[in-house]
Amino acid sequence: MNHQSKGNKYVCPNDRQLSLRAKLRTGWSAARSEPPLTPSERDAIAAVVKRAEKLEEVEAKRIGRLVARLEGMRRSAQGPAPRTCLLCGETARLLAPLRTCAICRNSACPKCVIDTPPHRSPLSREQYMCNLCAETREMWKKSGAWFFKSLPKYVLPERRTTGRYTDSELSRTLQDGGNSSNEGKTDSEPGSPLSIHAPTFSRQASSIERRSISSPHDTHYEWSETDILSHGFSGLSLHRTDSLNQRPLAGLKRTGSKGSAYSLRSIRKDMPKPNNQIERPPTIPDAGFGTLEIKLAYDNATSSLAVTVLRARGLIGMDMTGLSDPFCRLEVLPREGTYSNRLRTKTVHKTKNPEFNETVHFFGITESDLTVKSIEIVLFDDDKYGCDEMGSATVALRECAKSPAQLRLALSVSSGSEPTGPRILLALCYNTKKRALVVIVCRGAELPPRDSNGYSDPFVKLHLDPDPYHKKHKTSIKWRNLNPVWNEEFCFETRPTELSRQNLTLTVWDKDYGKPNDFLGSLILGATSKGRRLKHWMDCIKFPDHRHEQWHSLTDTQHL
Amino acid sequence: MAKTYDYLLKLLLIGDSGVGKTSILFRFSEDAFNISFISTIGIDFKIRTIDLDGKKVKLQIWDTAGQERFRTITTAYYRGSMGIMLVYDVTNEKSFENIKNWIRNIEENASADVEKMILGNKCDLDSKRQVSKERGEQLAIEYQIKFVETSAKDSLNVEYAFFTLARDIKAKMEKKQEASNPAPRSGAHQLRANEQQRKPTSWLSRCSLL
Ligand SMILES: Nc1nc2c(ncn2[C@@H]2O[C@H](COP(=O)(O)OP(=O)(O)OP(=O)(O)O)[C@@H](O)[C@H]2O)c(=O)[nH]1
Ligand SMILES: [Mg+2]
Ligand SMILES: [Zn+2]
Ligand SMILES: [Zn+2]
Repeated sequence: MNHQSKGNKYVCPNDRQLSLRAKLRTGWSAARSEPPLTPSERDAIAAVVKRAEKLEEVEAKRIGRLVARLEGMRRSAQGPAPRTCLLCGETARLLAPLRTCAICRNSACPKCVIDTPPHRSPLSREQYMCNLCAETREMWKKSGAWFFKSLPKYVLPERRTTGRYTDSELSRTLQDGGNSSNEGKTDSEPGSPLSIHAPTFSRQASSIERRSISSPHDTHYEWSETDILSHGFSGLSLHRTDSLNQRPLAGLKRTGSKGSAYSLRSIRKDMPKPNNQIERPPTIPDAGFGTLEIKLAYDNATSSLAVTVLRARGLIGMDMTGLSDPFCRLEVLPREGTYSNRLRTKTVHKTKNPEFNETVHFFGITESDLTVKSIEIVLFDDDKYGCDEMGSATVALRECAKSPAQLRLALSVSSGSEPTGPRILLALCYNTKKRALVVIVCRGAELPPRDSNGYSDPFVKLHLDPDPYHKKHKTSIKWRNLNPVWNEEFCFETRPTELSRQNLTLTVWDKDYGKPNDFLGSLILGATSKGRRLKHWMDCIKFPDHRHEQWHSLTDTQHL
Repeated sequence: MAKTYDYLLKLLLIGDSGVGKTSILFRFSEDAFNISFISTIGIDFKIRTIDLDGKKVKLQIWDTAGQERFRTITTAYYRGSMGIMLVYDVTNEKSFENIKNWIRNIEENASADVEKMILGNKCDLDSKRQVSKERGEQLAIEYQIKFVETSAKDSLNVEYAFFTLARDIKAKMEKKQEASNPAPRSGAHQLRANEQQRKPTSWLSRCSLL
């Protein structure tokens, strides 16, 4: 489990941490010579972490319900029109004059506004907040986003097409799964030659369901933002269909032969409307990240371990269309010394159900290694702007000590996987009053040194693309600093509908005199981004007037 | 329907080994006390849902091992915590002196917005007391952190401590929310309100809706 990575969350640990640590009296937490954990200690901690993960899943579903509720309100709102209520469409009457919402400035009838607390604004005349704005705020508080500065992980509730999987049923499954061992789960899966390994939530039920459903349909269940989009913002939905139709044929052909991706699209096109009552397989309230099938074979004659990655199913979608470009990174753990032996598979493009069918070999694996080591497989989404983790699984090598083993593994994601390496902390906020996207370039971390003194003199250039106003912005230069703090704010006039077609491009440079500036890294955020970049962008559009703060890796290639 | 709640607050207990973190949490979550000492391995957590001003507030309270050897694991949990209890033992001078180090550890690893509270535990053991209440209060004033003496054994001020911390976090949340009103802000990099550019605005661009 990823304890360490959690520590880096939202903060640059470098200078500050080191200088603070230096100030500590010696002998107290300064010397980090911690003896390794014993196996039983490790197990005890792992059990706690697992228990916490269960709780997180429940929490993700609760936040998902809050998000869905807000989406529902938005969809059923009438929209602003002169002298009618934005929510219910009621027209102004003598005894019930319309109020103006202090946040969005739309009119709403007395039934659809709340009084804002009087202490809030003694100067302002606007005393009312429409129910939608009020609900948005409520969601911000209840989800914990107020503290974490962005919406935490959430899982939208299923749309009920059948009554088979209700929320309560899921949470019961979660509880039941609580203390039972993995072996127990393997047994409970009838008729399957494969076995599921940790970590498991309600995975086994869903995997069975998945398999019994005709494959194109299981793509209906999508993760968070893509699902929201399908019934959210009309501008975005449009964009989404466009991009589906315009997808080059070559791409279709390639993935088409593998099944899912192509059929997904054709099915979608045939469907009149996403919210129509079409007979649909039950969408599974799946808290997981899909499954991975592998084969392990150990050859003691050559001391080699052959790992065949067969396929993955039900991966999370990373781009706007809900598809991903997965590849696997494999590593035998624990490492010996600092020597890292990582191998990767090729990338399978535009799919949630990749067929890898690729074998990689690890050499120098002894028989005693088999009893103590394990293999970690991490799935990434291949993207030139930074590969996001989509899930991972770890299996003990003892599985294949006696004979080759074929396994199906449930994928999970360590919740705190924040980017490492050269990165930038950005805050985005769409300001409805200014009608502008406010970008705050907060700080950079671990920027590459480009000057002979071992430092760089970084600054950031940023622009929107396309931008009718052709605004270009620059931060100040932070001299001799690899972890610069800017906290500078820039505005781009635009509309939320436009934002879904625009990209924010940032490039980081090292200021040099007498020669061209050195390029340090770049980042593009937009609706065509993937993974965490897409989420950041969509959160900013979906929840305006809130600050959305997130770290992003910088890529070292200049795509401009 | 699963039991639901309005807010999930994540709290953390830190302090030297043996000061009574686990005991305080055991008192708060189970209303029980155990005289024997079983040092915590790494981390643990307990859940209790409380009622605050009519809202159901679920507290997820992380208990950390005070032992140095688990420091890497335990500090990993600072970042996600909204509130932290710093615990010392009034019968142990050293644990009191170390509070300063624990505070530095928070500054180093926790979110800047985290709420804190100092607890002087085992105040039932008056005969063995090494740290007076006044010194505890003095330290708390120095750092501007709330302080209370507790006894997990006699169930003294344990409820009070958790409720206070939870209430402070909730108050901070309300305050943040008020502050996030998109009222015009002054700043160097402010966009000039460009009146001519203001087109008849569509419904989408106007409201804070999609
Ligand atoms: N008299 C008295 N004893 C207490 C009190 N609180 C805890 N103790 C005792 O102090 C010892 C240590 O308590 P723990 O709660 O396990 O200490 P801890 O801080 O969790 O220690 P680590 O897990 O090692 O960090 C136990 O024997 C408890 O019974 C108290 O309020 N009064
Ligand atoms: Mg303990
Ligand atoms: Zn109304
Ligand atoms: Zn409003």
